[in-house]
Amino acid sequence: MRRDVTFTRRQFLQGCSAAIAAMAGARLTHVAFADPNAPGSATHEILVVVFLRGGWDALNVVPPTDGPDRGYYEAARAELMVPANQTLFLTPQFGLHPALSPLYALYQAGHLAIVHAVGLTEDTRSHFDAMQYMELGTPGVKTTATGWITRHLQSAPNLPSAILLPALSAGSSQATALLGSPEAAAMSDPSSFSISGHWQWGDPQRAALRELYTGDNWLYEAATRTLNTLDVVEAAAGSSYTPANGVVYPAGSFGDNLMAIAQLIKADLGLRVATIDLGGWDTHENQGDGADGYLSTNQLAPLGQGLAALYTDLSNAACLEDYTRKLTVVVMSEFGRRLRENANHGTDHGHGNTMFVLGGNVNGGQIFGTWPGLANHQLYDQADLAVTTDYRRVLAEIVNKRLANPYLNTVFPGYTGHSDLGLVRGASSGVPPAQPGPFRIFLPAVTHNDCL
Amino acid sequence: MTVQKRRRMGRRAALRVDRLLAATARAGVAVPAAPATGLRAPGQPDLPAATGDPALPSLGVIVYNRLAFGARPGDLAAFNALGGTDDARLGAWINQQTNPGAIDDSECDARLAAAGLATLGKPLPQLWVEYYRGSAGRTVPVGDVRQATFIRAIYSRRQLNEVLADFWHNHFSIYGWDYSYASATWVHFDRDVIRAYMWGNFRQFLQAVTVSPAMLYYLDNYINQVAGYNENWARELFELHTLGSANYLGVMNPLDVPKDQNGLAIGYCDNDVYEAARSFTGWRVNNGSSGAPGDDGTFFYHAAWHDKANKLILGRYQPANQADMADGNLVLDLLASHPGTARYIASKLCRRLVADDPPQTLVDAAAAVFTAAQGAGDQLAQVVRTICLSAEFKAAWGQKVKRPFEAAAGLVRALNADFYPSDDFHWTFSAAGQSLFGHRSPDGYPDRRSDWANTTSLLQRWRLANRLVRNELDDVTVDLLAQMPGGLTTTHQIVDYWISRLLGRPMDPPSNRAPLVDFMAQGRNPDFALPAEQIAERLPHLVALILMAPDFQWR
Repeated sequence: MRRDVTFTRRQFLQGCSAAIAAMAGARLTHVAFADPNAPGSATHEILVVVFLRGGWDALNVVPPTDGPDRGYYEAARAELMVPANQTLFLTPQFGLHPALSPLYALYQAGHLAIVHAVGLTEDTRSHFDAMQYMELGTPGVKTTATGWITRHLQSAPNLPSAILLPALSAGSSQATALLGSPEAAAMSDPSSFSISGHWQWGDPQRAALRELYTGDNWLYEAATRTLNTLDVVEAAAGSSYTPANGVVYPAGSFGDNLMAIAQLIKADLGLRVATIDLGGWDTHENQGDGADGYLSTNQLAPLGQGLAALYTDLSNAACLEDYTRKLTVVVMSEFGRRLRENANHGTDHGHGNTMFVLGGNVNGGQIFGTWPGLANHQLYDQADLAVTTDYRRVLAEIVNKRLANPYLNTVFPGYTGHSDLGLVRGASSGVPPAQPGPFRIFLPAVTHNDCL
Repeated sequence: MTVQKRRRMGRRAALRVDRLLAATARAGVAVPAAPATGLRAPGQPDLPAATGDPALPSLGVIVYNRLAFGARPGDLAAFNALGGTDDARLGAWINQQTNPGAIDDSECDARLAAAGLATLGKPLPQLWVEYYRGSAGRTVPVGDVRQATFIRAIYSRRQLNEVLADFWHNHFSIYGWDYSYASATWVHFDRDVIRAYMWGNFRQFLQAVTVSPAMLYYLDNYINQVAGYNENWARELFELHTLGSANYLGVMNPLDVPKDQNGLAIGYCDNDVYEAARSFTGWRVNNGSSGAPGDDGTFFYHAAWHDKANKLILGRYQPANQADMADGNLVLDLLASHPGTARYIASKLCRRLVADDPPQTLVDAAAAVFTAAQGAGDQLAQVVRTICLSAEFKAAWGQKVKRPFEAAAGLVRALNADFYPSDDFHWTFSAAGQSLFGHRSPDGYPDRRSDWANTTSLLQRWRLANRLVRNELDDVTVDLLAQMPGGLTTTHQIVDYWISRLLGRPMDPPSNRAPLVDFMAQGRNPDFALPAEQIAERLPHLVALILMAPDFQWR
């Protein structure tokens, strides 16, 4: 066990509590917890990864609106096709599903970019395999011990040695992309993030729990991380939160989770990466004909409203800081759906997909990627939109140019020949160094070292 | 595999085939040659050796925390009275538990009766008419089963039965709260499918699952027809219910898949999923529409919807124009008897009952029993017995953490509370991330520690402990002072009593007793009697603290 603390545990506890208490009521700044002169602290980029579970129907989200592919699309989707004249104009060849209109303004303003025919370069139509490959960042290999975000946090050269809350899975479970990460917290809502302790006995309980969970063991580490997160969130985030700029998040857990992310970003706890899930995309039946119905109302509308709310909430927040300048949001899903609709007004599992990238440094207002076409011989397995862009190419560019981590071989082992699509602004590191230094490990005690 | 096939297949498909061939070859060896050197399957990354692993507790503690929802007061003493040796005690306990109908369960039955869960006794057609067609509320049946499941997990003496019901509900996982066939017929799915077959024959179990309205609806087979296939059911049947993704070969030519000694494909590819989808066309629900003869929610085979053309399933050719249901039945036959299914079911049961990465020797032994007993009416009971009576079972501890359901039921059992699952309780419990029948995708809740050793799962179980001991939740009452024997007055006495009572063993490591003593004494001398009002004030918080300790979380 690496325990770099030189003070006794009791001193540590008291010291930490005092530091947290001193901050309570005031707005925390990361300066208090991380070295302000550390490289990267000034930019302090934040990545939010939105994973749409179930496989979203890329061909109805960004349908072809003109040319021969419009014909193939209409022929294959007699019931489900989104009428071209109802789409929002993206390019002469493609339109956006009208239920995503909250995002359209962001596209027009150049904050939203779309990547089409992107996905996993592995033959699978299994949800669970595909999600695991994507989140581990190792297509074809499911035994990788860490997720791609974990490896980014471990290898990024610009992270300060102590961060209170570098990674968050918004929701009740920790994302696979953060597998093996000792510093990630899972949280659905700061207001229920509490042990509901008695006013007098809750704090002594927490102090005793720190002692009970001291040692070198995966469960002890998880519990210590929980107690640390509890201290931090309680002191910094409080329980009530009012979004800025009059924003209203959509009702439901997705909106709640997005709001929790915004709240924690503004609390300046050092949050670098947040993941969030939205399920319900496995539309084998009754997904809605044309531009209406389930996919539109139940799925795309809240997605668009939620992401637009997050972006607006973080824009020029409280007239203090425009967090969107540091923000990159990636929207991804395990695969797209079959070109041909099934007999149940639905679509079965497909292959090629679309990804959205949203943020203040995105070269938005464009569609990236190479369109493979929808003629039968152009389809994957004569059935699905082909993949012409590896999803890792999108993520790697963001990791490199926004998060300033050149170690792409570490984040995505086995991924070679990267070239930027030009999705985001920022300097590319060029040829990355062969090996990063020793992996950074955030230990709870080290994290708290700065509290003293 | 010929060189030509390999070339046609491409490198990745060839690698998948090679991996599967290796696994198949291993399963063919009667006595596994690999020694059980550790608790990790080949291919799994080794975690660094931890010095903080908990010591192996008594067998009763292991049994009650892995084959039950924790011990109630008296359970461990009763276990220890079952025989003179660990093997005798374990054997006797397993004999009792694998014959659940013979266990007197009057306390649980009385609590279920008092709960007045009216849907539990209703047959499928009545559920359909009253709750799907009628206005009695489509989610009332799934709500009743949720209540009954908690009451049973806490009060039933048929504990292994409840552990297995939870396992199989997650294996054949359905989102129960959809306002639909599934929610309205949930009593049928729980009672007549999961609980009726989970000790029996896997092939018969598979049939019952396949024709249940809840599953037909959830995975869309109720609308799967020759005029338009829906492959949702077929894909998850292969991937989640039988062969598992370890036997999935992806998109490849089915003629390139190697065969085993029985002439069956060693794994499945996408073509098998499509052929299986065709095989199940016309397997639907009597729902009063599109040619259904009735409207009572029962299974209905609609010959006019069936694709009668020939099929190729797992390398087996099926000629056209078979008898009613024969195509689908063949798929189920081939899957239930496939060695890949034996390996997959065995490994999942071992993961649930023993360790996250169970010893390969145990998985192989359980798979061998699964295969040897495939014609037996108690096939699954034989597999469970093999796992529970193994040396590997007795040697494993602390590789798993309780999931929120086991933790919550275990809290109530340890506290010996008078309990009914109120909305208030469900609300607090569900925040930990495992609401019952609430997993939306068909893979069930995950079963590895990496999925549950997280901030939400731990914090919310601690929170539940605090709310329970303070009697904050509706319909839950616990009187800790009344449960403590008279004459215990000093901090040492009180702390030791509750450690033993709640955990059945000393704290591990023993030094973890000190923070509990400090907490209770609050600076007073722990050898002296505490004032009664201080005991009364502090006891609930001490008890909650013991229940929040790592000792209570291990499996």
